[in-house]
Amino acid sequence: MDIQAYIQSGVIESYVLGVADAQDVAELQRLRFEYPEVEAAIAACEAWLAATANAGAVPVSDNVKEQLQHTLQHEFAPAAGTTAANQTSLLKRMNKVRYFAAASIVLLVVSATINVYLYQKYHQANKDYIALMNERNTVVADNGLYQTRLRQMQDRMQLMAAPGMLKVSMPGTPGKEGNLVTLFWDTHTKDVYVLANKLPKAPAGKQYQLWALVDGKPVDAGMLGDCTDLCQLKPVLKAQAFAITLENTGGSPTPHLDQLYVMGNVKS
Amino acid sequence: MKAVPTYTEQELVRSLKLREQAAFSYLYDHYSSALHGVIQQIVPDPDVSVDVLQEVFVKIWRQIEQYDPVKGRLFTWMFSIARTTSIDTVRGKDWRNSQKNNSLTDDLIPLAGATQPNPIDDIGLRKMVHSLKEEHKVLVELSYFQGYKQDEIAQMLNIPLGTVKTRLRAALLLLRQQVKL
Repeated sequence: MDIQAYIQSGVIESYVLGVADAQDVAELQRLRFEYPEVEAAIAACEAWLAATANAGAVPVSDNVKEQLQHTLQHEFAPAAGTTAANQTSLLKRMNKVRYFAAASIVLLVVSATINVYLYQKYHQANKDYIALMNERNTVVADNGLYQTRLRQMQDRMQLMAAPGMLKVSMPGTPGKEGNLVTLFWDTHTKDVYVLANKLPKAPAGKQYQLWALVDGKPVDAGMLGDCTDLCQLKPVLKAQAFAITLENTGGSPTPHLDQLYVMGNVKS
Repeated sequence: MKAVPTYTEQELVRSLKLREQAAFSYLYDHYSSALHGVIQQIVPDPDVSVDVLQEVFVKIWRQIEQYDPVKGRLFTWMFSIARTTSIDTVRGKDWRNSQKNNSLTDDLIPLAGATQPNPIDDIGLRKMVHSLKEEHKVLVELSYFQGYKQDEIAQMLNIPLGTVKTRLRAALLLLRQQVKL
């Protein structure tokens, strides 16, 4: 087949312009794959058609495009780039959210653990603190007590060591030798103080009573009462000896001598 | 202002198949006036030709899947749609009736270029057709502008099919040679 004659016959133009019949089209489709010259000739004719159409172009009013886009508005895909970008950013955002969620949960767990630990620490510390406070209060109270006692003792020492203070030792009477009471008698003020060194505790309903023996007669010198150490009793103007008996609570006008516990003479 | 994308023909076809509006917009901007010219040479009425143009673009949009790059360039495919849609409009019943009313003397199917003063006679293929001799011109009219098949033309003109084919090819070759690009 003379391919150049074929190309120059005008069959390609009839094909490109769309007026070739089915037989011609079939033949041309076969030959274009067989001969690159035919393919090239078709391409050249197509270029000519496009250029010719451009040369004969007739402008269209702007609203035609708008009408077309309106007609096809539901057939357009959402702009691909934007969609992809949106999806990417959405994906990024979701990843971020996931990351933060995971981080938040981890932080929450860590925080909760620390909270529990710190709460336990706090609880223990609080208990320790309360215990210490109680201990301290006890110590402070004890301290106050000791200070008071110390002051009392100092006062008594001053009292006992004061000038003009007469000391009367009152040992136990026969049968009650284990008892001992010491009496301090201020010769200036005539005040009497009694220190029960060793004396049994008075039974219920009973009290120890001090007697001053003045010229052989017992004179009431006061009740020892609940006083535990150095007790101040009634002032005694004159006495040669002192004695203590156990009497009914409130005291007796005269001593029951069978209940005599201790007795001592005043050394003058 | 939005950036206007530029496309190679391959990219344009791919984007059209992805239903991208930007691609359609580009297609319209670059080809509407050329296709409009092709349509107007077959459908002279400007109002009708604009309707045809819209129809053509809707067809291009909806039939883009059928376009096969192996068979030719995109423009050739679109040109084919424009031409056949124009001829369908011209040969449609309504159009033919209205033409008959306008030109009562024509009992044959009117020859667009020959029977009516055409304002666009001086452009494109139409202009070139006028320079052809009569025996070529009538074949181009009937086949290209009116869409008759070659065997139909052979019957209408009472000449052998081989002669129609040879003369038509020669006529088209002459047309092409008038515009060396």
